[in-house]
Amino acid sequence: MPVFRLTDSVAARLALGNGVLLVTLILVTAGVFYFGTVGVLARSTDGKIVSISNRLRNQYGNRPPADLVREIKQELTDGIDSDTEIFLVTAPSGRPVVGNLSTWPPAGTPMGRLINRELIRDGRPSFARLYVQPLPSGGLLYVGRDLSEQLAIRMLVLHALEAAMAVSLGLVVIGAWLSRHQIERRISGIRQTARAIESGNLEQRIAVSGDDEFARLGVDINRMLDRIEQLMNGVRHVSNAIAHDLRTPLGRVRARLDEALRREPTAPALSGAARAAIEDIDELIVLLNKLLQIAEAESGMRAQSFERVDLNRVVHDMVELYDAAAEEAGVTLAVSSHDPLWARGDHDLLATAVASLIDNALKYAGRGASVEVAAHCEGQRAVIVVRDTGPGVPESELARLTERFYRMDRARTQPGNGLGLAIVAAIATLHGGKLQLSNADPGLRAAILLPQPQAARATAATAGAHLSNP
Amino acid sequence: MKTLLVEDEPATARYICNGLEESGYAVTCCDNALDGLHQATNDEWDLIIIDRLLPGGIDGLSIVGKLRELGKRTPVLIVSALTSTDERVRGLRHGGDDYISKPFAFAELLARVEALLRRAHGAQAATQLRVADLTLDMRTLQVARGAVPIALQPRELRLLAYLMRNEGVVVTRTMLLEAVWDCHFDPQTNVIDVQISRLRSKVDRGFSPALIHTIRGAGYLLGERRTGAAAPA
Repeated sequence: MPVFRLTDSVAARLALGNGVLLVTLILVTAGVFYFGTVGVLARSTDGKIVSISNRLRNQYGNRPPADLVREIKQELTDGIDSDTEIFLVTAPSGRPVVGNLSTWPPAGTPMGRLINRELIRDGRPSFARLYVQPLPSGGLLYVGRDLSEQLAIRMLVLHALEAAMAVSLGLVVIGAWLSRHQIERRISGIRQTARAIESGNLEQRIAVSGDDEFARLGVDINRMLDRIEQLMNGVRHVSNAIAHDLRTPLGRVRARLDEALRREPTAPALSGAARAAIEDIDELIVLLNKLLQIAEAESGMRAQSFERVDLNRVVHDMVELYDAAAEEAGVTLAVSSHDPLWARGDHDLLATAVASLIDNALKYAGRGASVEVAAHCEGQRAVIVVRDTGPGVPESELARLTERFYRMDRARTQPGNGLGLAIVAAIATLHGGKLQLSNADPGLRAAILLPQPQAARATAATAGAHLSNP
Repeated sequence: MKTLLVEDEPATARYICNGLEESGYAVTCCDNALDGLHQATNDEWDLIIIDRLLPGGIDGLSIVGKLRELGKRTPVLIVSALTSTDERVRGLRHGGDDYISKPFAFAELLARVEALLRRAHGAQAATQLRVADLTLDMRTLQVARGAVPIALQPRELRLLAYLMRNEGVVVTRTMLLEAVWDCHFDPQTNVIDVQISRLRSKVDRGFSPALIHTIRGAGYLLGERRTGAAAPA
C-alpha cells in the first residue's frame, strides 16, 4: 500500500485539491440549507413570542389582573401550540399569579430581550426561549416557547452534515487512492521502459494504449527513442567499421615500418618505407573523414544550417570539376539541364553527393561510354540524375550498393573504399530524400530524390506563368 | 619571417616549428592560450598559427577575436582537429585568414603559410598577370604565351589566374579545390591532377620554358623553374 506524501505524489495533491473543493461545496450547501430551515424557524418563533408578549401587555396591562389570568388560561388550553407555549405572570411581590412554569429566572433577568433558559415547565425540565417584560401593575410577564423540537431539527441537520462530511472525506481518500493508482499504473510503463533503456536495452518501447495524455506522451517518447536508437546504431556501425577497416591498413603500415627497421637499414630503404607509410596513413585519414562524414550526415546536425541551393548550379560545378578526368577516362560527360532548380540543403554535402555519383560513373562506365548528369523537377520533387551507358549492375546487387564497405567483385580492382554510395545515401536521407539506383539498360541510373520546398515550387510556377503569359 | 605558433601538443608543435625553421622562418612557440594571447598582442608578428583546442578548454579562436578587436591585421592560420565545414566557417568568421585541418602534411601547411604571406603583402590587384612570357589579362581574359593566344575554358582561366597570382609558391590540391571550384570537401580522385595536366597541355606544350611544375607530395607550382625543390613531373 503506497503511503501518501504530498511532496512525492501528484495524484495525492490533485486528490487533496479535489477534496478541499468538495468539502467547501458541501459546507456552502449545508449552510444555505441550515439557515433556510432552522434559522427561519427560530426567527418565526422569536417573532411570535415578542408579538404575543406585547399584545398581552398592551391589551391587559391596564385592565383588572383577572382578565389577563383568564386570557392566559385560555391560551394554555386552546390547543394552538399549547404543548410548547410558556406563560407566567408574577405579582410585584414575585409570587406567581398564573402560568405553567414551576421555576423561572429570578428578578433581575434582562427585560425586553430574548434569552435562552433551562426551566421546569408543567413539572418537566425544558430548554426554552423566553421574553420577559414588566407589567404596568408592577408584576412581570414571561412569554416563551419550548425549544426541544427546534433542537431536534437542528441536531438532525447537524448529523446529516456530519454524515455528508464523513462520506465526502471517504470519497476524497478513495478518489485519491484510485487516481494515484491509475497514474502510477500509466506511469509505471514509462518508468519500466526508462529503466530498461538505462540498463542498456535500447529496443524497449513504451506500450501505448488509448489516446489520453499518457498515451500521447508515450508516443512522443517512443519517437524520441527511435531517433536515439537510430543515431546509436549509426555510431555503432561507424565504430565497428572503423575497428574492422582501419585495422588492416594500420597493420600494413606497422608491418612495413617494422620490416624497414629490422633489415639492414639503409637511408633509401628507410625513406621509401616512410613514404609508403605516409601514403597508407593518408588513405586512412581519407577513410576516417568519409566515415565521419556519414556519421555527421546521419546525425542530422547539419540540417540546422540548410539554405537555398541551386541544384542545377551544383551539377554544373561538379561536371566542370570532373570534365578533365572524364576526358582522360575516355568518357563523354555532359549536363542536360539548364534551368535553376532550388532546394533546401547543405551546398557542400550535395556537391559531395553529386561528385561521388559522377566519380562512380566515370570509374565503372568504361572507355567510350557516356555519362549524363541532370537536375530537374519531377512532380513534387527535385531530382538529380547521373546516368551512364556502362555495363550497369545486376538487379540482385543494386540494393547492396549503398551498404558501407560493400564492393562489387569487379570494383575491387579499382581504387576506392566502398563508402561512396553509402555517403550519397546518407546525404539524401539527411535532406529528407533518398538515393534511388536502377538499371537504365544499358548502364546504371542513380537518382537523388529531394523534397522541394513550397516556396521554390511557387517561384517556379510564377516563372512558368510569366513565360506562358507575355 | 617572424612567426608565432600557439600549439599545446608538443609533437605537433615540434613538427611545425622544425619545418618552418628549415624553410627560413623564425618561430616562437607558446603552449597555452594565456602566453599566446600575451605574445600575440604585445609583439609584432608577420604570421600567427593558432591551434583551436588549447589547455583549459580554451578555444584558440578567442585569441584571434581579441587580436582583431585590438585592430591587429596580422595574418592568422588556424590549425584544428575540428574539421567539419561548420567549424571551418566559424574559424574564418572569427577572424582567421585560413583554416587547415589536422592531420595535415607539412607541405600543405607551408603552402598555405606562403599564400597567406603573399596575400598580406598585397600581390593581388594586378589586372595583368605575367610569368615569363605567359600573360593573362584579367579584363579581357586573354591568355597568351608570347604572341601566341591560348584559348581556355572559364574554369581553366580561374585555375591559371590562381596559379599565376601565387607565382613561385607551392599550392596544394586542397587549396586549388577551395579557390577555383569552391569545394570544401575532398573528391578523393585525381580530378585536380587531370585538370592541371589539361591546363599544362594548353599552356606549356610546345612552349619553353615549362611553367607548371608538379611538386611531389605537395602540389603544384607555377613559375620559371627554380633550383631545389621544384622538379617537373
